[in-house]
Amino acid sequence: MKIDYYARSGLSLGLIFLLSACSSKDEDASAEMDPETLAKVEALRAEVKEYYETKVSLPPELFEDLEAGRIEQEVVDARIAAGEFPRFFQFKSLEDLPADLVWEDGSDLPEIGSPDAVKGGTVYGTVQDFPRTLRTIGPDSNGSFRPFLLDYNSVPIAKLHPNTTEIGPNGQLYFPGIAKEWAIDKANQTVYVRIDPKASWSDGEPITADDYLFMFFFMHSKYIKAPWYNNAYNRYFKGITKFDDLTFSIRVSVDKPDFTSYVFSLNPRPEHFYGELGDDFPERYQWRFEPTTGPYVVEEEDIRKGESIVFTRQKDWWADDKRNYRHRFNYDKKRIQVVRDNAKAFEMFKKGELDAATISLPEYWYEKLPDDDPLVEDGYIKKAVFYNQRPRPPFGMWINTAKPLLDNKDIRLGIQYASNWDLVIEKYFRGDYQRLNHSSEGYGQFSNPEVKARKFSVEKALEYFAKAGFSERGPDGILVDGDGKKLSFGLTTGYTTLKDPLTIIKEEAAKAGLDLRLQILDNTAGFKLAQEKQHEIHFMAWSGFPEMYPRFWDFYHSLNAFEPDGSLKTQTNNLNSLAIPELDEMIETYRASTDVDEMIKLSHEMQLMLHEEAAFVPAFYIPFYRVGYWRWRKYPEDFNVMNSEAASEYSLSWMDVEEKKATLEALKRGDTFEKSIKIYDQYKED
Amino acid sequence: MLKFKLNPLTEKKVARFRQIKRGYYSFLAIVVLVVFSLGAELFVNSRALVVSYEGEWYFPTYGEIIPGETFGLDYSYETNYRELKEHFERSNSDNWVVLPIVPYDPYENNEYEGVFKPSPPSVSERHFLGTDTTGRDILSRLFYGFRIAMFFSLVFLVLTYLIGIAIGCLMGYFGGIFDLVGQRMIEIWSNMPFLYVVIIVFSVVPSSISNSVRIGILLTIMVMFSWMGMTYYMRTGAYKEKARDYVAAAEALGASTARIIFKHIMPNTLATLVTFMPFTIVGAITAVTALDFLGFGLPPPTPSLGELLKQGTDNLTTAPWIVVSSFFALVVILTLVAFVGEAIREAFDPKKFTIYK
Repeated sequence: MKIDYYARSGLSLGLIFLLSACSSKDEDASAEMDPETLAKVEALRAEVKEYYETKVSLPPELFEDLEAGRIEQEVVDARIAAGEFPRFFQFKSLEDLPADLVWEDGSDLPEIGSPDAVKGGTVYGTVQDFPRTLRTIGPDSNGSFRPFLLDYNSVPIAKLHPNTTEIGPNGQLYFPGIAKEWAIDKANQTVYVRIDPKASWSDGEPITADDYLFMFFFMHSKYIKAPWYNNAYNRYFKGITKFDDLTFSIRVSVDKPDFTSYVFSLNPRPEHFYGELGDDFPERYQWRFEPTTGPYVVEEEDIRKGESIVFTRQKDWWADDKRNYRHRFNYDKKRIQVVRDNAKAFEMFKKGELDAATISLPEYWYEKLPDDDPLVEDGYIKKAVFYNQRPRPPFGMWINTAKPLLDNKDIRLGIQYASNWDLVIEKYFRGDYQRLNHSSEGYGQFSNPEVKARKFSVEKALEYFAKAGFSERGPDGILVDGDGKKLSFGLTTGYTTLKDPLTIIKEEAAKAGLDLRLQILDNTAGFKLAQEKQHEIHFMAWSGFPEMYPRFWDFYHSLNAFEPDGSLKTQTNNLNSLAIPELDEMIETYRASTDVDEMIKLSHEMQLMLHEEAAFVPAFYIPFYRVGYWRWRKYPEDFNVMNSEAASEYSLSWMDVEEKKATLEALKRGDTFEKSIKIYDQYKED
Repeated sequence: MLKFKLNPLTEKKVARFRQIKRGYYSFLAIVVLVVFSLGAELFVNSRALVVSYEGEWYFPTYGEIIPGETFGLDYSYETNYRELKEHFERSNSDNWVVLPIVPYDPYENNEYEGVFKPSPPSVSERHFLGTDTTGRDILSRLFYGFRIAMFFSLVFLVLTYLIGIAIGCLMGYFGGIFDLVGQRMIEIWSNMPFLYVVIIVFSVVPSSISNSVRIGILLTIMVMFSWMGMTYYMRTGAYKEKARDYVAAAEALGASTARIIFKHIMPNTLATLVTFMPFTIVGAITAVTALDFLGFGLPPPTPSLGELLKQGTDNLTTAPWIVVSSFFALVVILTLVAFVGEAIREAFDPKKFTIYK
């Protein structure tokens, strides 16, 4: 299963975050369509209708058998034809709704927006590359621009409340988005949803249950050229039932404590926009902005290819007054400009051309915008540290245990003790970052507090290397074994920005007689190398999704390590090439478990076991984000929400337009204001 | 004194070159720098020149590492001689350490105010040009970076010229179909985007390959995409010479093709090439610096001018000494080589010695 690379975009979808959108100005433009397009639209309508009537839902086991080649497609087709499986799309009426449903709407949860927020103004932002498409799915769509289009600009059915970690009887706590209310049938893993009657697409069309039916057609379809989504929307969902235009239910095929999250994170797709869906989807929809459920739209004239894109807030957005959506998305316009060089973007910020800058890196916080910088000293630019709580991207060194020598646990233990991450954290990250202890930190009760990363120790490293036969130092100080073979491994990474810490690691490892040959690749090449399992030791982190519990199957199950013929399995997340039968068993139990307590226990045991395997050298995590911002930029009193990865994720900030003018004038005169450096540590972990 | 006798024409050229003071002194400066850089370990190094411990003398500069235990320290990895020196001084023993002028090697990270960050130039710390973003001594990195770049360029020069001259001469001498096809192949080859090839090749080179091999691969790729320029000059040169009587004479005497090309034609076309050499070196240094700047050059943490320059531009306001040192180092090296090139060109200018009638 693909989880995207952390640094690539930061966003990436673990499961199903999709939105739908579209833009076009022709709602019912069939009148002006040319005959060819019209024929296309007609054909698609027929195709959708037929799909609704014939699509069946396969049991997940069958899916796996099919994938593993244990069963033939023809056999399955025959069984489908025999009517063995239930239909995926069902159409019922309101009377068919179970009577005992308990409807919830999360209205007891605290609100996240600040009532002080004022609407208006234009905010300026930058991206490094101009997006290659405005689509949010299909080729090239999963880039760093997608949050602007989708992730930060869409309304899911319901959203995980970012300020709670509580787990209720029905899983984590959600506040409603497109849904007015929902009801959960735990026994059947079904979520019933009533759509907010106000909900509408940005082109004015109402959002209805049909858009959710269409979403499944769309996400299953080969046209979108997104096999991962094709698979996920088939695998994780058993079907959708429409009761009326505003009521539907979705049944999930995973019986897990968080099964509701599969439904809540769904984003509908506007059926009226995708009339011309076909094999040429990637090109045809390349530069069309899908009508969105969110507040910001892109007008065609606001796209200046290679330069900038302007997002405009809808005048009367349907969720303007909705609880937990009001007081957010405050800017009238967002102007996103391409600036390829980070250093340049930072200079623009210091000139006031950008309102805010993320300055989490110590280099920026202490050197480039120090507390005694004149702009900070005089109160023009404020600084803030916000400690967040969320699953931590596991930055660390993934040892490929299938490679010679690295299959020896003593060597791996030696590498653990020879990796001086504590020094890097203390001397390079200036003690701001924290040592990561294992690969699934930040999952609350699911993370084992007993597992601690091993501290750097030359003696212990030498001891373990000696056990593996490397006991003598060669002329350059690197250990050699009896045959004169050097203890030397390639350390690769796709993070060019983390070159410096890795050179420190290399220098320190040499003290323990370990030679690490650094290879710094660009993002894509680095990820490809690890995906092809060519690495010996690879440094990277996976995205941390705001999920309830950590995943193990993707990263540690033997199915993702080796092919049946014993060769390394490529394109999987098992970067350690670990294949341990006991661990497999635990992973399978964990995967099948519906009980939170059992899962927590298993999770702890597996983390301990992985620690003992010593195949992952945990590096660090960043417990906060830091922001520098001009004084006209405003944030809520408690700055942000706990489970946020960046200050802009929940769109809580706003600006004082008058103050911006006044500030820029004051800057010319040389006035001074009160200096402001704030630390928001209400969510700080020990 | 030169043992072998130069051809009088060449002697004149050399004399002329020595008269052009700017070029000549630049040449001497480069020679001095290169000679110094050959012995860089004696001037810029974290290893001590001499250690006297318990009556015994050690010379750690070249050869195997000497673990700390040898000098009564409590670790088995390489001795930190700066600390050893302080240790000896504190303990008032008869032991002593002599360190090089710049007691840092280009790889070690040095703390500044308790963290690895750039420190400004400081004579007392002997960081004469300051340190870079992980606290490595800039002078040390420049010096070793210069050595690598210089030798990289020299090898590059030799290889591109060998290939370029051989193929160019062959095309010029044989002419006809061979020339036609060769020319088209070269045209196609020159249109391959060099930078992409570097990126692609390095993404598939397994990490198990050592740094020196990776430098070799980079060199090979650069040579593969740079030899074409030379062929044009050699081809024309060979064409011209082929028509001369002495070639016909050699042919009549029954000389082999190889002999004619390499013994007769080539020496007569080479003179022009000498004038290109310094500029090829300038080109190679610039190319490898540019590649390092972009992050596709020599594998880290190899010291390099381009990498320093990149660090410098990223920290323009907070650590200006990085960009200043690397920029000036690059300017000085390239200017010196370019001056030499200019002087050679002038010295070899045929108009000085030929009278056209």
